[in-house]
Amino acid sequence: MRFFDPHIHMSSRTTDDYQAMADAGIRAVIEPAFWLGQPRTHVGSFVDYFSSLVGWERFRASQFGIAHYCAMGLNAKEANNDSLAREVLEVLPRFAFKEGVVAIGEIGFDEITPAEERAYCAQVQIALENDMVIMVHSPHRDKKRGILRSLEIAKEMNVPMAKLIMDHNNEETIDDVLDSGAWAAFSIYPHTKMGSDRMVDLVLEYGAERLIVDSSADWGVSDPLSVPRTARRMLERGVPAEAVELCTWKNALDAYAQSGQIDVEALERSPVIDQRALFEDNSVLRGQEPRIDDPVPN
Amino acid sequence: MLATQTCLDDFLERRMPDAGAGWLEKTVAEIGTGASGQRLAALLSMASRHAPRGPLGPSAAERDEAGRALAGWDPERWTTLDAVRVRMVLAHPAIHEAVFPDLLEECFRYADVGELVALYRCLGHLPDGRRFVWRAGEGCRTNMRSVFEATACDTPYPVSNFDDDAWHQLVIKAVFIEAPLWRVYGLDGRLSAELARMALDLADERRSAGRRIPPDLLLCIGSHGSERALQALAIEAASNDACARRAAALALGRAGATDRLRAWPQEESDVAVRAAVKDALDGRCDQIAFAVFEAGRD
Repeated sequence: MRFFDPHIHMSSRTTDDYQAMADAGIRAVIEPAFWLGQPRTHVGSFVDYFSSLVGWERFRASQFGIAHYCAMGLNAKEANNDSLAREVLEVLPRFAFKEGVVAIGEIGFDEITPAEERAYCAQVQIALENDMVIMVHSPHRDKKRGILRSLEIAKEMNVPMAKLIMDHNNEETIDDVLDSGAWAAFSIYPHTKMGSDRMVDLVLEYGAERLIVDSSADWGVSDPLSVPRTARRMLERGVPAEAVELCTWKNALDAYAQSGQIDVEALERSPVIDQRALFEDNSVLRGQEPRIDDPVPN
Repeated sequence: MLATQTCLDDFLERRMPDAGAGWLEKTVAEIGTGASGQRLAALLSMASRHAPRGPLGPSAAERDEAGRALAGWDPERWTTLDAVRVRMVLAHPAIHEAVFPDLLEECFRYADVGELVALYRCLGHLPDGRRFVWRAGEGCRTNMRSVFEATACDTPYPVSNFDDDAWHQLVIKAVFIEAPLWRVYGLDGRLSAELARMALDLADERRSAGRRIPPDLLLCIGSHGSERALQALAIEAASNDACARRAAALALGRAGATDRLRAWPQEESDVAVRAAVKDALDGRCDQIAFAVFEAGRD
């Protein structure tokens, strides 16, 4: 099988990860701009970070036959440094319209503060003015309220909901997001977000329409193979192959290809085709691919 | 009007779809009124949304035309988007003026990998190239091979503008990252004893590490390596690897060691090596002769 991981922070991962991802059939990734685990103190740090997302990281991924797209934005945590946030929002348009930038993101709420809301609204406005897709991060604490607030703002601003992906959902938030018309993404991330088996339960209950599986892997204890691992678990537990393909490949492609920045045809014939064959031969059908044996816990 | 501007206009007229051609015409006109660095950078980004994806694919006649417009320029590996972006930069009315390097530097600072490639490709087309020597050095310091090749290959810029130190670094780095050294314009005309020494030192390092000597390393020696070079070439000529023997034969030709070529073992079984010995004896061993090693790299 082939996979698309539409949320992963590759600049914090090693080349071993890239190799394992390519071997497991991951053909394309989206790296949304976020924080670095600690707050930055100068706008120049953002400039160089944004630049690396469309430069060095794109090149690194290409060495493993993986197409690297990104989303540009000021994350919620760092939006709380008001003066820095203003400077970052000023430089954002220099990067947001570059080739391969598929969305504004990840933006949204962390502590649900007025400063976060200002940054969110300003960036939704940039997306609207330029007909862009929006990737919305949802908070760890008070998640449901954060999601409802960000959806409400988007509706007030007349965002076409087919262009909004709400990320880091769980069993408690899926209904609100699907009802809003947005795409519902789930980060299969040990301990703090979703686990593979819970994800399978959701797909069995809801079907795969508008559901997207991603890893959100970063510099924390996380798993860059959680998309293929979860796909494997779905197949083992009787989710139809078409539904698995929808939520681990096609839905994300449909959502983000609205940007016009993904050459879908080129992706279909990418060199990773060989690795897909390897994945099918070794694991999904015969259960012998050791790298993705275990589902992601939690 | 620069000769290469006319040339690029010809190429693009044959390739741009109507809508893209209209955008380019309008944009070239806007830049022609003196766009700021920020505006030029933004327009270079937007070009990806208007140029068709994929290689420029110049015909043999077009490549000849390019070489006549600017000796050493070969657009064989350009994309159409590269051509659009270079055309845009050349449209700026200040390219002759003292302010232009700063303006171009702003474009470099905010560039993605595709824009970097196009901007480095520009340098050979700009008047008073020495103004951009520091920037071109940055292009050679990169580890993104696509960016390095845009700076170093198929352009007259480095040979005309680099001092000896920068030139030597470019040549040895090309070998190091396996960029096609035979495409570095002017190489054969600017070999030196110092470059040969650097290449032979690197050959010793590779041999100590048990690694193969890339054929392009022998290309750096030319006729400058004296006895030490002949000893190194003798080792390669005795290699079990036919590719190494082939490169050694061409390098012996370049070194003028016809006696050693005539004494090449009669029992040589490899057809390509025998052909290389003959080519070397007949003087067909300039840098272009090393093109044969490019596809066969491991």
